Amino acid sequence: MKIFPLSMKNLVRKPGRTTALVLLTGFLAMAVFGGSVIILSLRTGLQSLEARLGADIILVPSEAQSKVSFQNMFLQGTTGAFYMDASVTDKAMEVAGVEKAAPQTFLASLKADCCSIKIQVIGIDPSRDFTVQPWIARSLTGELGDMDVVVGCKVEAGIGEIIRIYEQRCKVAACLEPTGTGLDTAVYCNMHTMDNLLAAAEAKGVSHKISSGDDTVVSAVYIKVKDGYDIDTVNTALTGKLRKVTAVRTRSMITGVSDSLAGISRTVTMMIVVIWALAFIILLLAYILIVRERSREFAVLRLIGASRSMLSRMALLESAICGLTGGFAGSAAAAVGVFSFSALIENSLGLPYLIPGFGTILLLAAGTILLSIAVSALASAFAALRLSRVNPGTALREGN
Amino acid sequence: MKRQVIPGCVILIIALTVSIGSVSFLGPCVHDDGSVGACHWASRSLSGLGFLALILSFLAVLLHRARFGLYLGIAGTSVLGILTPGTLISLCKMSGMHCRAVMQPAMIILFAAAGLSALFGAIVCGREKKERA
Repeated sequence: MKIFPLSMKNLVRKPGRTTALVLLTGFLAMAVFGGSVIILSLRTGLQSLEARLGADIILVPSEAQSKVSFQNMFLQGTTGAFYMDASVTDKAMEVAGVEKAAPQTFLASLKADCCSIKIQVIGIDPSRDFTVQPWIARSLTGELGDMDVVVGCKVEAGIGEIIRIYEQRCKVAACLEPTGTGLDTAVYCNMHTMDNLLAAAEAKGVSHKISSGDDTVVSAVYIKVKDGYDIDTVNTALTGKLRKVTAVRTRSMITGVSDSLAGISRTVTMMIVVIWALAFIILLLAYILIVRERSREFAVLRLIGASRSMLSRMALLESAICGLTGGFAGSAAAAVGVFSFSALIENSLGLPYLIPGFGTILLLAAGTILLSIAVSALASAFAALRLSRVNPGTALREGN
Repeated sequence: MKRQVIPGCVILIIALTVSIGSVSFLGPCVHDDGSVGACHWASRSLSGLGFLALILSFLAVLLHRARFGLYLGIAGTSVLGILTPGTLISLCKMSGMHCRAVMQPAMIILFAAAGLSALFGAIVCGREKKERA
């Protein structure tokens, strides 16, 4: 007597029972796979943000903190424009312990070509920049020319396409790799292009003048601290030397994000554990109820020569098949939901969110399916043992 | 007979969700200045396709003889529905926009589900027709 064909026939002939067991394990797999992908994506996003910021300290005008949440600019792509005298960069370089200082100038576009939201335009100085330039170099081999822009991966503009910012025609020179942060919605250009855009914005009534009346302005200066120097000491020295400027430690910004991520991870993990515990109890109860229903069927199989171990293996195999089908269907359903609505999840969480690579996802799906099979088999182990020990005589007499 | 009607009922619910959802809770965002983008017209087209699928599925539930052809019609409509947002009619350029983050994936999933149900219905109809013959 072959076990596998018999188990398959048992499952096919009882479609209601099989569907219920598959749905239950499918629901479990969906919770595990979906939750794990979200947690992993948040972790990958945080690593990406850490790598992308690159600087130890960021100098911004004191008014910036009240104008816009600096953290939101990086995480959610909120636009913001604040300016300070460009001489801040040279003054910062005079402070002991400062290795590099890279200025950036921000400008919020009025409107993207067909969207109702603004885009953050960031001007960089390629000769001094050490934060964005390494990322641009991955996509652009040559230099970033005048009126050329590099767009974040979420700005859908192909290379060579012209985008209009304050009626100025800018050519897309390259598209950056995804980071899972608000920087994916930004547009980068060199300082000469930025000067043109600032002038065009001025003509449209968007002022960038500062109280000193100086036309050469920057929005932020990214600082790299020399090895051997304490970042906090350099931070204090910068705050003391530069007036009307706030020095923000990037580590404090990342710690805030990391804390939020830990909170979300804990909640999702708790939810997965509760769902698994509940579903395991339901599966256990379902299999216990099945023992009563199938005792006569197993008694007949014993009478026609099936051994006890054969019967328990058959019961375990049936539950494993249900676990495999449910695990596969649940993981597939979760994948459709999580990957299709990744932009919505990212917007809702407001945290760096970057889906991990294909290999990781495949491993996660395989793990989820294996877990579904194991839990399903474990829940049915007791039932399999009871069914294999069924007394044919008693079971058949009880049925009458 | 029951197996032939069930896909029609499933499609009826999906089509109702598409025709109402694409211009309301699943639809594109409203611009502050009152202007409309391409995504607005994509949502109108999707609503129309949803309404067409709704009529076809309603007829598929009612009319026994034409069921096979009606299911094939729904499958064709579903292919159009999948291709409309982003391929046939462009959407906003930022992937975080509501039309890209919600409307496009939701419509693709709903129309794919309707198309698969329609194909299943057509296969069941074809098989039962063959059995009767």
